[in-house]
Amino acid sequence: MQHPGAAPPFSRLPMLLFIAWRNIWRNPMRSVLTVAALVGGLVMVILYASLLEGMTRQMIRYATEVTTGHIQIHRRAFIDDQDLYATLPWSYLDRIAHDIPGIHVAPRLYAAGLASSDTTSTGVMIEAVDPKLEPAVTTMLEHVRSGKVELGVADTTKSGLTRYNVVIGAQLAKNMKLVPGSELVLVTQAADGSIGNNLYRVAAVLRPLEPNFDRMGVLMSIAAYKQLMYLDSGFHELAIRVDDIDRLPEVQAALETEMATLQRRHPLDKLGGPAVVRNWRQLNPTISDMLRLSRSMLLLIGLIVVGLASLGMLNTMLMAVHERTLEFGILLAIGMKRRWLLAMVLLESFFLSLIAALIGSGLGALAARYLEVHGIDFSASMPDGYDWAGMVFEPVMKGYLEPGQIVEACLLMFVVTMIASLIPSWRTVRLRPAEVLR
Amino acid sequence: MTMRGFARYGLVWIAVLVMSVAAARPAEAIEAAQLIRHIDRLWRGDTSHATMTMTVRTRRYERTMTLEAWSRGKEDSLVVIRDPIKDRGIATLKVRENIWNYLPKINRVTKVPSSMMSGSWMGSHFTNDDLVKESTFEDDYDSRISFEGQRDGRSIFELTSIPKPDAAVVWGKVVTEIDQKTLAPYRAFYYDEDGALVRTLTFDEDKRVGSRIVPMRLSLQPADKPGESTVITYQSIEFGVPLQASFFSLQSLQRRR
Repeated sequence: MQHPGAAPPFSRLPMLLFIAWRNIWRNPMRSVLTVAALVGGLVMVILYASLLEGMTRQMIRYATEVTTGHIQIHRRAFIDDQDLYATLPWSYLDRIAHDIPGIHVAPRLYAAGLASSDTTSTGVMIEAVDPKLEPAVTTMLEHVRSGKVELGVADTTKSGLTRYNVVIGAQLAKNMKLVPGSELVLVTQAADGSIGNNLYRVAAVLRPLEPNFDRMGVLMSIAAYKQLMYLDSGFHELAIRVDDIDRLPEVQAALETEMATLQRRHPLDKLGGPAVVRNWRQLNPTISDMLRLSRSMLLLIGLIVVGLASLGMLNTMLMAVHERTLEFGILLAIGMKRRWLLAMVLLESFFLSLIAALIGSGLGALAARYLEVHGIDFSASMPDGYDWAGMVFEPVMKGYLEPGQIVEACLLMFVVTMIASLIPSWRTVRLRPAEVLR
Repeated sequence: MTMRGFARYGLVWIAVLVMSVAAARPAEAIEAAQLIRHIDRLWRGDTSHATMTMTVRTRRYERTMTLEAWSRGKEDSLVVIRDPIKDRGIATLKVRENIWNYLPKINRVTKVPSSMMSGSWMGSHFTNDDLVKESTFEDDYDSRISFEGQRDGRSIFELTSIPKPDAAVVWGKVVTEIDQKTLAPYRAFYYDEDGALVRTLTFDEDKRVGSRIVPMRLSLQPADKPGESTVITYQSIEFGVPLQASFFSLQSLQRRR
């Protein structure tokens, strides 16, 4: 008769698998409870991951789609101190749009000004966009609270003054008691040093997009801006949307090369500094830091939840090993190798985790799917959404299920449970048959 | 209006006020407190009417405007742009701590909000306080004569003014050099709270107006922008013109175009 220990290493595996599987069901109640604890932990980790991912996606979407775009180009002096004269020439705009495939561009201009209504005055930030190009890059003009977004000429006054339409932020509208149709006076210092002033008609009030715009934003067309500011040298900001977001790094590199070429061919004035190409992460370092932070938070919370669940696992296996001390002693006495015993106990834990992983990812996926479709609705208490890290979020918190995260959560659980079951396994290995059998 | 716009107006007010400072008569063994009280008394009830040109030189443009200004005491003043045509008729009225602009093109009066009056002019070297606070110089600062004697070939009083602890002012220290003979200011240095020089105001082309010696040219030099300056030159100036308080009202602001 061949000695069991002398068998080639893996020929015993099917038998060990069989024994381990049977061992689990020797105490079905205990095993089911253990699996339930693990399933609960796994579902929670998956839900948490899905909510976090949903928020991250919403954040990225808000950080790019609403006002910023994926990439922006400015002059250095405009970034540093909003230098009115640090413009990029209009000729650049056509070249960029023509030379780089797969992007949409929207030029913008800015200025500081003083807005007055009949009763009150306040400092505002004037922003000019091209109403035809902007919608291809951001959804800025779609977030309407009241009125209709219209940036053309409103009317001509009796004295022959052309009134343009403007769109303003919600908080500004509230503070200045403006509604669509109201008249607004803007006073500023024009580019030639004169006092730029004109009358405008409020066409629409935008929902909160970005705290700054909400508080002091006045949006107008580039034609209206030129009429007010006498600034015709170019634009301050070019917002760019990349069709395929995965190509962002290549497009950014291509834009940098393009800007270098353009600046060689049509040199810019010295005072405004060179053109700077930045992606949304560079534009919003807080958000990009927060995204990184939320990843490590996910791992930490996952570890805690799964760790707690595996304490149940640890308890189960300790009990199982303890009540079978005699059995293990006999097995050792008749010549079972210690490493086979160790493998058997580990296989039992493995089966428990496997069952938990199957059920947990199934339930977790279902629950996450529900969150993805319905979300958690806060709109009763916060109709305007909430403002976090300089961004305004929708009041509905939606999950986003990424299959990779389920796999990661399961792997995390396997690792933690296997580490936990090393303790009871170690006890079997340390058994002395002579003492046990006495 | 942008900050630089205010800056220009601010300078106008300094100019208006300096005219009053210059109105002080020479006196023997003058003391800081006396000087200040003397100036304070002179301002009250005193009126002036001036036309001046102002040249603003920045890195980007150079621009000259002709202005007509009236003042009454330290409370009220009115400045109207006469030239260039584009800005003609734009008027700024200051009554105590309030500032309004009248814009003839759109025929509207706008009030400058208090949020834009305090603090610095968004990165510019001027502060809104130049319009409002400079006139309450005596109330907000403790002044003493820190030097008396020859400097640059002139005999001068050097007046050092430190803000009072509870005063809401932007400067950490203002040093004014005043000519001993004419009692006309010669130079003024504005320092921030860390003691660094922010800007220098230079007065020259002194001229006798009635019984007063008035510097006819004021040049402002921001310390951090060497190429930039604002220069105000008086074409004419007269004191003691009859002006009613009602002259400095919103109604008259719109009427005088």
